[in-house]
Amino acid sequence: MMENSIAWILLFPLFGAVLSSLLGMANRKVCWPIGVLSALGAFGAGIMTLIRVIDSPDHMVVYLFGGWTLDSFPRGVGIEFRADLLAILITLIVLGVGLCVAIYSKLPVEQETPEKEGFFYPLFLLQITGLAGICLTGDAFNLYVLIEVAALTGYGLIAMGSKRAAAATFNYVILGTIGASLYLLGVGYLYIKTGTLNMVGINEFIGATEGLKESPTMQVAFVLICLGILIKMAFFPLHAWLPNAYCHAPTATSCLLAPLVTKVMIYVMIRMVLTVFGVDFSFESTLWSSVLPWLVVIAIVSAAVMALAQREIKRMLTYLIVAEVGYMVGGVWIYNYYGMVGSIFHIISDACMTLCLFLGAGLILRKCKTTRFDGLRGLFSKMPLTMTGFFVGGFSIIGLPPTCGFFSKWYLITGAMVAERWEYMVALLFSTMVMVVLFFRLIERIHLAVNESGENLGKGHGDLGLTKEQTRFSEGPLTMLVPLLSAAAVVLAIGIYNQEFVDLIEIFLDPFDLPGEPLSK
Amino acid sequence: MKNTSLIPVVLVGFLLFYASTDFPEWGDPQSPASSSPVSSHFIAKTGVDTEVPNMVTAVLADYRGFDTMLETVVVFIAGMAVLAILRNFSRKKPVKRGHEVSVEPDLIVTNTVRLVVPVIQIFSFYVLAHGHVSPGGGFQGGVLMGASFILIALSWDLERALTRFPINRCMVVAALGILLYAGIGVLSMALGGEFLDYAELEKVLPVSREMARYHAMLGVEIGVGFTVTAIMFALYANLSSRGRLEGGL
Repeated sequence: MMENSIAWILLFPLFGAVLSSLLGMANRKVCWPIGVLSALGAFGAGIMTLIRVIDSPDHMVVYLFGGWTLDSFPRGVGIEFRADLLAILITLIVLGVGLCVAIYSKLPVEQETPEKEGFFYPLFLLQITGLAGICLTGDAFNLYVLIEVAALTGYGLIAMGSKRAAAATFNYVILGTIGASLYLLGVGYLYIKTGTLNMVGINEFIGATEGLKESPTMQVAFVLICLGILIKMAFFPLHAWLPNAYCHAPTATSCLLAPLVTKVMIYVMIRMVLTVFGVDFSFESTLWSSVLPWLVVIAIVSAAVMALAQREIKRMLTYLIVAEVGYMVGGVWIYNYYGMVGSIFHIISDACMTLCLFLGAGLILRKCKTTRFDGLRGLFSKMPLTMTGFFVGGFSIIGLPPTCGFFSKWYLITGAMVAERWEYMVALLFSTMVMVVLFFRLIERIHLAVNESGENLGKGHGDLGLTKEQTRFSEGPLTMLVPLLSAAAVVLAIGIYNQEFVDLIEIFLDPFDLPGEPLSK
Repeated sequence: MKNTSLIPVVLVGFLLFYASTDFPEWGDPQSPASSSPVSSHFIAKTGVDTEVPNMVTAVLADYRGFDTMLETVVVFIAGMAVLAILRNFSRKKPVKRGHEVSVEPDLIVTNTVRLVVPVIQIFSFYVLAHGHVSPGGGFQGGVLMGASFILIALSWDLERALTRFPINRCMVVAALGILLYAGIGVLSMALGGEFLDYAELEKVLPVSREMARYHAMLGVEIGVGFTVTAIMFALYANLSSRGRLEGGL
């Protein structure tokens, strides 16, 4: 069990999916427990793997499928899973979010997609399989297959939503397919030039071969792979699929996909830049690295402005995701040690805070039947716990200490200053201001009687124009409230124990030799 | 708008041309992809490692068996997603569409299909089981088998095909296919190897390590065949009838 823990991370949700589709035909009631149990099993296997990674001398656990071991066969004959500290941290985030949303999903699924539990849970669990596999794999083609698993389940899960979800999914299918094809084409070019699909193999080949860094084929491969991943992560001009898809998706789906899909894709970009192409190639031999930081600035500013224009919580949150993607891409491409630490840390904290916000929005939707700003008056007295959880996420997005968002943004801004990328820093601060406006406007809508069009609905003196009935304490159900509050607790805990996380990230980044690394170590 | 979409097309076209300037010569034995230790290992050692004459099958089902398992899962997901989106559980009676007409199945067509279907099905078994030696395998065999059911649905009607292969049974068979594939993997894990390390199956099979790989490959190909057959037909049945599972094309 122990030595196969990496395989079990994928096998628990895989077998859970098959079982829930088989047993779900006989009795739909068993799907939810199977979903929760297999998510729990996968999380346990993830923790076990983390312990093994930390305990091992080089902070790395390698697993070779099919027994094609490295000592008797050349590298790349079989498929390799490599869990280094970065991979296992992101995997744990995926599994943790998966577990949270699995528990949360019981009532929303019963309400929004009645009688379809037998389809929802298999897709849900396979989504977790795909995302966790993307984080762990050490093979460029296997990564493509796993991206496909994650994308196809995503299409299915989103399209199960309202009538408009189908049209939104269609957009997503087209753009997602273009993104995946570009990635695959890039991997094909890589294979032509290096003769292997194994990530370590590619990296060693690039390092050992003269003139490969200047090769047009390699340059194009790099651009195609980056472009494919940028589409998949909804980077600003390529984000068109995201807002509609996540708005019209069923609640449980958007809670699972919104915190994870974009973040996992940023992880893929970091993996490609650092461990596949290598730092030298990615930052110094390509034209790309001088263009992208400016695109990031445009992305952050435009996404923040678009978020400001929304009058509905879920839509506003989707544009926030697009802005956050800009932060993390920027942190990678300013080519600086602190920027990279910030980017990786921000993947972790952004997943947690986005989870908080979407779980909260789901609860509001269930209780108020709307997530428009106008329907929010008096929510703090009606659902104090939900709103607390929601605003912990919100404050973390703004970056207020002691939430984790503060610390990751701190590293990003430090990176911008050390690398002297002032334009990136200004964009970060601008979007922070916008987020302050967004969330304090929400608080205003909840506490004041004035609605969006400026009418005063109350009679003054704190009267919100609501009846006693409408403001009476009435919290959401426990299966939904507990995941929300634990996500909020995790946001605070990561913030308070931020040094432990940064230490792990620094151990991971140590061999890469990025500029701006502190000399004291 | 139509003209602006030309810009990315031209741009990508330029990129592809630019990339091809540095390709290795066509068929160059010294190119990295041909001379890498991985390709050489596949070419020289496949027979030694697995006893399988067909290199492609060995790479597909054994060396990179984990990829193939996930591809089977992708097929399963496709069927699941289409069912999840289209299946309508409301009891409302569907409206008949304008172009639907009911005609008796044609005598010549049905009788030809009666003759052809058994041949297709036997051929699909051959393709599936012979994948080790000649081109073929689980995906191809599964598609042929699925096609035979689609042929029945086309020449009689969907109901007739569904009485032979109901949609619930489709999903059971599809799930069993994955269960078989992953089950062989877990069994080899339980016997002390890694996931999908078929060689460990020698402890339960009366054969050598290499032959254990050979037989396990047949096992996983059968799993793939199950899933592909069932999903092929499930996709046709749902898409052709908008999820109502009656009438059809």
